[in-house]
Amino acid sequence: MSIEPFNRLVKLAARAFYDDVTTKGDNQPKTGRGDNRGIAVVVLDALTRRQWVREEDLAKELKLHSKQLRRILRLFEEEKLVTRDHRRETAKGAKIYSAAVAATADTQTGGKEGEEKIKLHTHSYCCLDYAQIYDVVRYRMHRMKKKIKDELEDKNTVQEYVCPGCGKRYNALDALRLVSLEDEYFHCERCNGELVAESDKLAVQDVGDGDDNARRRRREKLKDMLQKMEVQLKPLMEQLNRVKDMPIPEFGSLQAWEARASAAGRAVNGDSGSNDPSKNSQGYGGTPMPFLGETKVEVAFSGLDGKEDVKSESASTSLKVLPPWMIKQGMNLTKEQRGEVKQESKPDGSSAQPEFSDDKKSTVENDDKKKIQDEYLKAYYAALYKKQQELEEAAKKQQELSDIPLATGLSDSSNRQVGMKAKRDDNEGEDDIDWEEAPVAGNTTESYKVNDLNVEAEESGDDEDDVDWEEG
Amino acid sequence: MFFHIVLERNMQLHPRHFGRNLRENLVSKLMKDVEGTCSGRHGFVVAITGIENVGKGLIRDGTGFVTFPVKYQCVVFRPFKGEILEAAVTMVNKMGFFAETGPVQIFVSNHLIPDDMEFQSGDMPNYTTSDGSVKIQKDSEVRLKIIGTRVDATEIFCIGTIKDDFLGVINDPTTA
Repeated sequence: MSIEPFNRLVKLAARAFYDDVTTKGDNQPKTGRGDNRGIAVVVLDALTRRQWVREEDLAKELKLHSKQLRRILRLFEEEKLVTRDHRRETAKGAKIYSAAVAATADTQTGGKEGEEKIKLHTHSYCCLDYAQIYDVVRYRMHRMKKKIKDELEDKNTVQEYVCPGCGKRYNALDALRLVSLEDEYFHCERCNGELVAESDKLAVQDVGDGDDNARRRRREKLKDMLQKMEVQLKPLMEQLNRVKDMPIPEFGSLQAWEARASAAGRAVNGDSGSNDPSKNSQGYGGTPMPFLGETKVEVAFSGLDGKEDVKSESASTSLKVLPPWMIKQGMNLTKEQRGEVKQESKPDGSSAQPEFSDDKKSTVENDDKKKIQDEYLKAYYAALYKKQQELEEAAKKQQELSDIPLATGLSDSSNRQVGMKAKRDDNEGEDDIDWEEAPVAGNTTESYKVNDLNVEAEESGDDEDDVDWEEG
Repeated sequence: MFFHIVLERNMQLHPRHFGRNLRENLVSKLMKDVEGTCSGRHGFVVAITGIENVGKGLIRDGTGFVTFPVKYQCVVFRPFKGEILEAAVTMVNKMGFFAETGPVQIFVSNHLIPDDMEFQSGDMPNYTTSDGSVKIQKDSEVRLKIIGTRVDATEIFCIGTIKDDFLGVINDPTTA
């Protein structure tokens, strides 16, 4: 399951359809500097590099005003490209999200809004809805084509008539009232002037009498338009076809995603969960089940405790059967932090459950267990480290492994995404500039400029891959 | 499209009809009142096929009229968008032609007539192909497709097209 083709689809669609979206009202003059066309493309691109994101954070990262961003997001919500979630939450609720973000992108330091606010604030989150985007884009293409084709064949169009004298408009449904007894023309009800047929909206706008010549010209124009559309939207069509049989990446609702991401994040952070201080918070401290400590982040969903336990338990077991390349990524983290495994896990846990951790934990049996586990962990890490080094050697030799990041799924391998996300955020400054410039370059001439931007999209994808391997 | 449905109506009956023929009088008055009318919801009532039941009559104060709630079965005709119909041409002019199927009037505008048919004016205005093999004039029968309907409370008006496969003249009065 890969998200990359879908991201490409989003990027192509953004450039094809949302290129000239501006947040300004139509009445305001579009001066050179105030012109922010293409901003919608930037936002969509930024969203392809994220999963669920808090809108304030996104605004900050894009250096946009949050109002401006919200206006764009509202547009995309109407267009059914993004799903949004609003909720009133305390600082603690915000922290759950931060924990989830930290799990997917561990460079990002969550918890900016510390403990100082206890008041409820409404936060908005947004996320691309890939399944819907696929349908929306397909439908849009279908409608465009149908509209032009119908008009080309004069199918299903209700002829409109206009009175040249008083400007009153009629359509063919009024025909019965308009016939006059004297001659064979339609007459205006108001001024009894002779009505003339109005030609189609898409084509020439003149209020001609629709004689054969005009009709032929209109036809040619429409045919031309159809042809142009097919050529210019070809990359988008191809991408749609490519994506057709792929499983669609699904982030689920905000809550589900948070739960999953933080569970996966803990899985990545290693088996250090065994001596996680906060495991006692759920009352499992005395029970001889060391790994149950990993349920700690689910504290917030007080109603769902039982369910979440099962889920994260399965997440942790799934870690053990991960393929080697995936373990390598997890190893990366633990390798750096091997000396300070406990310190690493503590802030993570203590941010969620600060007070209860120390007093309950220090029971004797726990200590014993900890020793055994530490030893086991050491051996485990050593083995993993060796294996990983071998893998690295192999990896350096064959540099073209770009398909590995593609192969990483979303839900089943979110721990792999930890690495990816982090790197993307590192590169973000450059990326944004890239994408911002691209639309401007292509802006002036064509209405759909998908073609020239493909190259751009692919290049940036390669960049990411390279970075990936250098760091790995 | 035709439907066979059950409708209900409150009939006011004058006291002079009271007697042994009350029921027959009621039914004949119902037919006179209802057949040929058009409601936006159900379409044209073509014919009453039977009476389901006649409820208890209620004598009106002051007038002596009696109100019977009557349930009756009837055939209704309601045109739909996309429906294919056969219609008789009633009028041809430069803007197109009018046709009717039963009670429904249909207008076909000239841009929904195939491009190879040209308008010919004269005392018998018509649309004719360049080789003269097909001619649409008054009393021609055409098969057309409805592409739009205007449904008012008491009137239904349609616009149609003959610019599609298998549409057009199905019987030319001049050759028949």
